Parts: sequence; C-alpha cells; structure tokens
Amino acid sequence: MTDDERPPDRAPSSAPWKPLLALLRRQWVGLGLGIAVGLMWTLGKVAIPQLTRLAIDRAILGEESAWKWAIWIGCAGLVTGTFTALRRFIAFSQSRLVERRLREQLLDHILGLHIGFHDRAQTGQLMSRGSSDLNQIQAFVVMIPITVSNFFLITFVVIALFVMDPVLALFALLPLPFIYVNGRRFSTRVHPAVHEVQQEQAQLANVVEETVAGIRVVKGFGAEQVQADKLATEADDIKGASMKAARIRATHLPVNELLPSIGLIAVLGVGGYRVINGEMTIGDLVAFNFYVQLLVWPLRSIGMTVAFAQRGAAALERIDDVLSVTPEVVDPDQPVARPTDAGHVRFEGVTFGYDGGDTVLDGLSFDVPAGSSIAVVGATGSGKSTIARLLIRFYDPSAGSISLGGVDLRDMAVHDVRRSVGLVFEDTLLFHDTVAANIAFAHPDATFDEVRRAAELAGAAEFIDALPHGYDTILGERGFSLSGGQRQRIAIARAVVADPDVLILDDATSAVDPSKEHEIRGAMGTVMQDRTTIVIAHRAGTIAMADRVVLLDGGRVVADGTHDELLASDARYRQVLAASAAAAHAAGDDTGGASTDDDMDDMSGVPG
Amino acid sequence: MRVPPGVDEEDRLDRDEAKRVLARAARLARPQRKLALATLGFATLATATTIIGPLLLRYAIDTGITNGDRAALNLAIGVYIVVAIVAFVGSRLQYVYVNLTGEGFLRSLRLRLFGHIQRQSLAFFDRNKAGVLVSRMTADIESMSELVQWGLLQFVSATILVGFALVVLLVMSWQLTLISLLVMPALILATRRFQRVSNVAYLDVREKVGENLSSMQENIAGVQVIQASAREPEQRRRFRAVNRELYDSHIHSVKVSTWYFGVVEFLGVCATAIAIGAGGWLAANNQVSVGTVVAVVLLLSSLFEPVQQLSQLYNVLQSATASLNKMFQILDTSPDLDEAPGAVDLPASGDLVVDHVSFSYPGTTARVLDDIDLTIASGEKLALVGPTGAGKSSVAKLIARLYDPSEGSVSVGGIDLRQATLASLRRRIVVVPQEGFMFDGTIADNLRIADPSASDADLYRALDSIGVRERFEQFPDGLDTEVRERGSRLSAGERQLVSLARAALVDPAVLVLDEATSSLDPGTEALVEQAFERLTSGRTTIVVAHRLSTVRRADRIAVIDAGRLAELGTHDELVALGGRYASLSSAWARTQPA
Repeated sequence: MTDDERPPDRAPSSAPWKPLLALLRRQWVGLGLGIAVGLMWTLGKVAIPQLTRLAIDRAILGEESAWKWAIWIGCAGLVTGTFTALRRFIAFSQSRLVERRLREQLLDHILGLHIGFHDRAQTGQLMSRGSSDLNQIQAFVVMIPITVSNFFLITFVVIALFVMDPVLALFALLPLPFIYVNGRRFSTRVHPAVHEVQQEQAQLANVVEETVAGIRVVKGFGAEQVQADKLATEADDIKGASMKAARIRATHLPVNELLPSIGLIAVLGVGGYRVINGEMTIGDLVAFNFYVQLLVWPLRSIGMTVAFAQRGAAALERIDDVLSVTPEVVDPDQPVARPTDAGHVRFEGVTFGYDGGDTVLDGLSFDVPAGSSIAVVGATGSGKSTIARLLIRFYDPSAGSISLGGVDLRDMAVHDVRRSVGLVFEDTLLFHDTVAANIAFAHPDATFDEVRRAAELAGAAEFIDALPHGYDTILGERGFSLSGGQRQRIAIARAVVADPDVLILDDATSAVDPSKEHEIRGAMGTVMQDRTTIVIAHRAGTIAMADRVVLLDGGRVVADGTHDELLASDARYRQVLAASAAAAHAAGDDTGGASTDDDMDDMSGVPG
Repeated sequence: MRVPPGVDEEDRLDRDEAKRVLARAARLARPQRKLALATLGFATLATATTIIGPLLLRYAIDTGITNGDRAALNLAIGVYIVVAIVAFVGSRLQYVYVNLTGEGFLRSLRLRLFGHIQRQSLAFFDRNKAGVLVSRMTADIESMSELVQWGLLQFVSATILVGFALVVLLVMSWQLTLISLLVMPALILATRRFQRVSNVAYLDVREKVGENLSSMQENIAGVQVIQASAREPEQRRRFRAVNRELYDSHIHSVKVSTWYFGVVEFLGVCATAIAIGAGGWLAANNQVSVGTVVAVVLLLSSLFEPVQQLSQLYNVLQSATASLNKMFQILDTSPDLDEAPGAVDLPASGDLVVDHVSFSYPGTTARVLDDIDLTIASGEKLALVGPTGAGKSSVAKLIARLYDPSEGSVSVGGIDLRQATLASLRRRIVVVPQEGFMFDGTIADNLRIADPSASDADLYRALDSIGVRERFEQFPDGLDTEVRERGSRLSAGERQLVSLARAALVDPAVLVLDEATSSLDPGTEALVEQAFERLTSGRTTIVVAHRLSTVRRADRIAVIDAGRLAELGTHDELVALGGRYASLSSAWARTQPA
C-alpha cells in the first residue's frame, strides 16, 4: 500500500478528521484550560508596553517614581512568565495524549485486521502511519492552544494600537499581514524541498545498503570505485537538494525580519513627527515599538500553523485509510462452542485464490481423523502452505468448507479456532523477550514448569541451559540470535505449550542443516504423538513420519497413500521429492529470512 | 522507514571527549574555512538592525524629537532604512553560505567515510553489523544536518548578537546596563540547570521512541504469529504499556523543562523593569537621557531570545558530537587487507597452491581450517564437498583472498597472494557467489560492476562467450532494462546468469564458484548449467558443490570435514575408497537425478 494508493477494502470515509475530533472532544477540559491560560498570558503580554508607556510619560519625563512602574512591570512579567510555562505544558501534554491515544487505536486496529490486508500492506508503510504521520498530527495539535492565544494577542494589540493612535496604527500594521503570508508560503514551499532532501538521503542509503550487503561482489571484482562514484553522485544530489531548501529559507526567512523593521521605521517616521507636533507622547512611540515587535512571532506562528494543519490533515487521512479498513475475519454473531472432537479436520471442495486472484486450491478435499497425521507434499506453488493458512483461518475459502470436529470454522469464534489449531511456521519469528516468554507465547500465564517441560519435549532444553541467561536470555532482532535449528525447536516448544488439537508443521526442517535434521525430527515425533498433525514437508525423512501422504498438484489431491506406497507407485511424487531435496540441501536457501549459525560458511553473505 | 537506533553509552560523551571530537571535526572542515568566514561576515551584517535600530531610536528621540530637530529625525529614518536593507541582504546571504559550508563538510565526510568503509577487509564486515554501518553513513550524518541547517547559524548569530549588544549597552550607559543585568546570574543558573535536566530527558525520550518503534514493528511484522496464537489481547496490553512509557517520558520531559521558558520570560521582563526603574532614577539626576533608557530597554529584550536559543541548541550539538565520535571510530580503523609495499602482479597462469593453511575468523579462536594442503594445476576443476560448516566455503574465500590465512599461504604461479597487487588479484581470480547479487540500475550497469570501462561490445562478447546473450536481449530494453530493487525484475536464474557473465567479462585465470542450492525453473536451469560449463572451460576452477551433477564434472574432489582435508581424488577413486564421499554420493544418488 503506497501513500497514493488506497487499499481496495477501505470503506470510503468522508470524514478523516473524525478520529481526531473525537479525541479532542474527549480532552475538552485540558484544551479549554490551555485556552484560558493563553488568555491570561495575552493580558500580561499586552499590559507590559502600556506600563512602559506610562512609566516613560509619567515617571521618566514626569514627576512620578519610576520604581512604582517598574514593580508593576515586574508583576506583569510574573504573570506572563507563569502562563508561558503553563501554556507550553498544557499544549505539549494534550498533544502527546492525542498522539498516544491515536497510536493505541491504530495498533489495536492493525492487530485485528485480517492477514489478507497485511499481505498487501508493507510494514514500513504501516510503521510510518504510527510514527511520522502521528508526529505531524502532534505538531498540529500542539499549536491549537498556542494559536488561539496568538489570535487573542493580535486582537488585543490591534485594539490597543487603534485606541492609542489610529493613524499611526494603520502605518505600523500595514506591513505585518505579509509576515503571515510569507510564513505560510514558506511552510508550503519548504516542506516539499525538505521531502526531496529526505528522498535523496534515502537514495544514498540505498547505495550504502547495497554496497554493504553486496560487499563480497564489490570486493570480488574490485568495484569499490564504481560504488564510490555512485555514492558521490548521491552525495552531490543531497547537497543540491539541501541548497535548494536553503535558498527557500534564504528567500523567506529574512523577510520576517525586514517587515517588522519597515513597521518600526514607519512608527519612527510617522510617529516622530506626531510627537514633535504634540499629537502623541514619547511613551506612545515606545509602546508602538514594543507592540510591533510583539506581533511578529504570533503572525509567523499562525502562518506555520496553517501549514502544519495541512500536513496534519494529510497524515490524518493516511491514518484513516488504515482505521477504516473493516476486518474480514471476524466472529459469527452466534458462535458455536468448540467441538469436543476438534482434532478431526475435514476439507470439503475447498477453492481459494489470494486476493481474488489465481486459484491456488481448486476443490480440494481430504479428511484427517483425530489423532492421526498426514504429510502434504507438492511442488513449490502447489498450495501446501495455503492449506495451513486456511485451517488457522487467516483467510476464508471462496467455496467449500473447512471443519473441525464437524463444525465449519466460520461458525466458531476466531479465538477458539486458533486455540484448536497450532501452527509452526517455516520461518520462526522470535519476539524481543525472554526464551521463556517466547515459548509461552500462546499462553502467557503458563508456569515455568510447563515451559521447561515443553522445551524438554521439543529437544530445546539442552541448548537453552547453555545460553548466557538460560530461560531469561532475551531473544529477537536486538537480542541473542539463535541458529535455524534452535529457532525451530523453540517454535515446537511453543506449540507444545499451546497444546492444540491440531498441529500444523509448516516446513519445520527447511531452515536446518540436513545433518541436524534428525534432532528436529525427534522433537516433532514427540509432539505429534496422539495429536492430529499436518506436516508440510520437503524432505523424505520428515514425510515418512506421517501416517499418510497426500500429493498436491494444481490445487487438488492427485495421490494419497503412505510414503512407501507413493515412492513405489507414483513418478510425480518421486520427481517432487528430488526437486525439493536439491533445494533444501543446504541451509539458507530461497526460503528467505531464516539465517543460521552457519552463516560464517555462506559465501554470498547476502540476506535473503 | 528506518528505525532510529536507541540510545547507547556512545551517546553520552563527557566534556573532554566532546571537545576533542569537535576539535577534530574543525580540522576536517578546514577546506570550508573561507566559506565559514564569509558566513560569519554575513551573519554579522544580519544582526545590524537589531543592534543599530535601538541606537537610531535613541538618536531620534534625544536629538530629533526632544529638540524638535526634523533634520536629525530624517537622518535617523534614512540610516534606519539603509541598515534594514543591509541586514536583509546579509541575512539572505548567511542562509546560503552557512549551508554551502555545512553541506560541503557533510559531503566530504560522506565520501571519506564511505571510501574508508569500502577499503576494509571482509573481517570488518563480519565484525560490524550491516545495519550499524548503514546508520553511520545515514542517520548519524543526517543528525548533523540539523546542526548544519539551522543550529550552526543560530549559534553564530546568537553569539554575535549577544556580544555586540553587550558592547553597545555598556558604551551607552554602563551603570544602567550593569544594574539591569543583575538578573543574568539567575538566567545563567537556570540555563545550566535546564541543559542538564533537558538533556537527560531528551535522551530518555529518544530511547523510548526507539523502543516504541521496535515494539510496533514487532507487532506488525509478527502479526501472523500473534493472530495464530490468538494473542492479540496480550500484545495490545503490552503495546499500551510501551506506548504509555513513551508518553510518560514526553510528559516528564515537558515537566522538567517547561518552567525554564517561564523563567526566561520573567527574567526578561524583570530586566526591562529594572532598566525603567533605574533609568527613571538616573534620568531624574540627568545621568542618562530618555532615548538611552528606551534604547537599553529595547536592546535588553533582544538579548534574551538568543540566550534561550543557545540553550536549546545544546541537545542538537550533543547528538551531533556523539555521531561524529562514532564516525571517527570507523575512520580510525585501519584496513587490514591492504596491498603490501612492492607488490607484484599475479602471473596470467600457474598452479594454485594452498600450502598448509590454517584459518580462524579474525576475532575468534575456533579453527575453521586446519592444515589444508592442496595443489590445483592450471586449468584443473576441483569440487569442494562436505557438510555445512565444515569449512569448504572458507577454503574458497582464502583462495580469493577475501581473508588471509592465519598460518600457511595461498599462491598462484609461485606468488603469495599477500604479495600480489590487488588489481591483478581481482583480474586473475574471480568469485561467483551463490546468489547473483544485483545492484540498483540496469543489467548493463550490473555487468559493469566487474569492469566499469567495458564497452557495449565487451558486454555482448562476454554474454556470447557463455551463450546467454539472447536471454537478455529478450528484455524490452535489452541490457538497459532496470533490474529494480535488488534485481526483483529478474528471476533467480537470470540473476545467476548476470553473475556468471560478470566473471566472463573479467576473463580470469582462476574461478571460485559457490554453487546455488535453490532450484530454478527447468528452462533457466539448463541455461545456467550451460553457461557454467562454458565459463569454466580452460580455467582453473574451484567449486563449492551441492549437486552430484556438478561434482561428477570435476576433475578431482576434495572432501572437507571439520576443517580438515579428509579425502582427495577423482570420483571413481573416492567411491572405491568407500569413505565419506562414497556414502555422500550414494545418498545424493537416491534423491538427485545425476
């Protein structure tokens, strides 16, 4: 899913502002408080030039004590100081609260969306919904209380100026609206320029990434100079794009300094003569000076707020694109209770194609009695893994039915289906958590004894004990990395803890060195005992563990029998086995992802 | 998008370290010296209105308005206009020049760092995670561009402003200035305290942002496992906690820093109040004029903004220093596989001798190879077989001098590889990796990785020599077809063909091949085998073999087991020997059609 491309299953949403407005309404107390505080801040701010005027006219040029006015000014300073801090605090805390709540809402929703959605969505895109897009919304929300008080300030100052001297007010204020215009133009122009810089940076990152990933090719052919030239081009582009952004800054930002100067010159020019003519006091002149300078920042900031709002709206729309996707795999209105013989799996005339595309399964039927095991064998793309994904109800078939213990999956609560069916993925994902927590993934409240027993059954206890912190060792991308075989054994232990009625082992040995395959096989044998098991396997040794084998071709079952029977009688079966044997021979083949301890011995060193 | 790195110890430099790093950066930036001076000049001009404006107002009030002298007033207005224009021009130029300076520096830093990384041996790339190297070249340099784009300028102009304003204030009325600046100690104390607490809070926020992103990424990338385990409620609960921590960290950061902005505001107004109170008293004693009081009040208010800006700059400066420090650590790593002084070219042909070679990966103690002794005659084909992890790929890497042996030597035609020029080494010995690695660009660009100066005719000659020209001419734009991200436009087999064609383009004497293990579609498979056959004919070839068919075509077979040369001989000899190879080959024969 790209930014410009909306997912097809998105309900047309007329109001992308709705989630934000709902949150803002929820926080009306906080926001109202922010606005009230802003009003107080404004009063203090507007008072200071007036007090200065009085001090000059009555004390410095008159007879009164200047210290009296100084104390008044100090008091006004206390007010503005206090409310500056409060306004800032309220604005930031309210906007962070919006950000927090929206992010929660977003992830809640993403976690509940059907896998069909996730197949199309890119992780990076969803991540930027939850990070940079939310940042833009936060940047807008933080401006709300600030902008409101800036409006107060502008209104009060304009009133004060016109009350003091309407003619001079006109001259002084004339150039100032251009600050707003300039600020707004700047924000809209600089944003695409900054974006361009980021894109050039991404292209440079691409050259660095490919050089580091392909360093063996680069060094093998002595292509360092080729890559260095590419990098120089990208570095020049970044510089070029940055200079473009700098020129935009150079065009607009100095105007923000020039315009108030023009206002001040106008005040001096027109006001000076009026003072000489006795039409106003020096105090008025100074107060005008102060007021003109007071208006600069609010005007600039309103220009920025408009641009922020535009960006925030775009970000909100992208977030709404995700929030308005309706989950497709949901509980039925009246779910049927989990059947007692949930171990009995039946596929009846199941037809399915991903995303309505090419048919992968075409009227597939088979039956696995409770407690027995079956191996599904077929060429790449024959639909083996699809069986697993349908049985755990990641997708629903377009025709036919899949049942557990005679109950159609669609008639059960999704939660019950997934408690009944356990899936060991071909590529095991470990989470950034302890070994114990990774094993207890499906049952976070499992006791340590249960975890340990599962690890023992899966043949993982030995290597876990040898880890630096045993069961408390942190795994995952930023944690301790395990070999392919060790990851598989963790995955099998996970399945043991989950204790499902039906276990699906998707290619559980593929990421493992053939010489270590037997260890996994031992673990598999243990968990398969007395449990309905569907093994999706390439290797003959693994296939032979199942009671029965079905051979898949063109989305249908084309042969059915024991491994030995099929080996003896079916040429297609032998062919498929030979092809997968070649593919699976060494670890780190085209299954991607799974990296092993044996990487040291992999000459390509290229991540999958 | 890239996940920003979390905060680590390297992000917390002490004062001395930071000074050292900045001094070194300044030395590196020497070529930008002239531009930097120009920036300084323009930045000075840009502050003119702020400094001179109040002075002009003073002159206008004291000389013009108070005395009713219209000429003096006109003069003040005229000069004001000129000053405003000069400042405007200076300000425009300062933005351009500060970026020319900074971006020029970053550009040279990028080139230098990248060049240095590329010069490192493979051991360096084993030692450093790819992600870390990439973020040195990207996130770390980018974190400095913030400094370059506005931080540096703010620092320079704030410093100039404060400096000039102080001088002007003291000259106008040192008494009034000193009294008004009584608030300064409080401001300095508040600023230092703010720097301390806000920096700690800032680092904490950065850390929490990193954790939040990782958690989000894990949940999105792992959604299948999560849904399959019906664990959504638990994951939601956990994400809420992580998200809450980020929120708390943000709130804490605002809480500990927000008072500062109030204090600065208050102290600024206080300085004004004192200037007015004291100014009124001094004016009553005729020690200062009205204009002076007004000018002091105006200048004081322009003094406080830069101080506040400087305090916020601290965090930016600190993270830039941390980034620079990490880059310097890389620049300080000297390449360990450089050319020996007085290196000679490798001969065009000759026997390849692996002489009693032992090897451990740098930084490890485990022996991967143990006393391997092999002589491969010029033009001979040798297959390396053995279980994964036995060391066969390590043998291949040493032959290509991707690493140097820990003991023993590898030589071609009697020249030790360590004594050979790198250029001749890369021309004589070529490695073809298992998967054809593709770079961004066209098919032709990808072939030219092997020889950037190759003409189109050279490319076609190379493709012809292995008989795959037609395959690539079928593409809509022929060799100018973009391969797209990591070569996704090409099939796995086509990527391997590109890989073989690269080798053909170099026309080496020795080929080191890591045979692909993944199965290809039958059409391409045959083409790859044919290309392989043509490429290896007449060349010394060492192939890390996974298939029986490949092994059968080799002249001799070396069985590597646990880092040792276990068996060596022809297929028939080794089968007759009845050892490891014999059992391996019969196992293969059961599953693979030979």
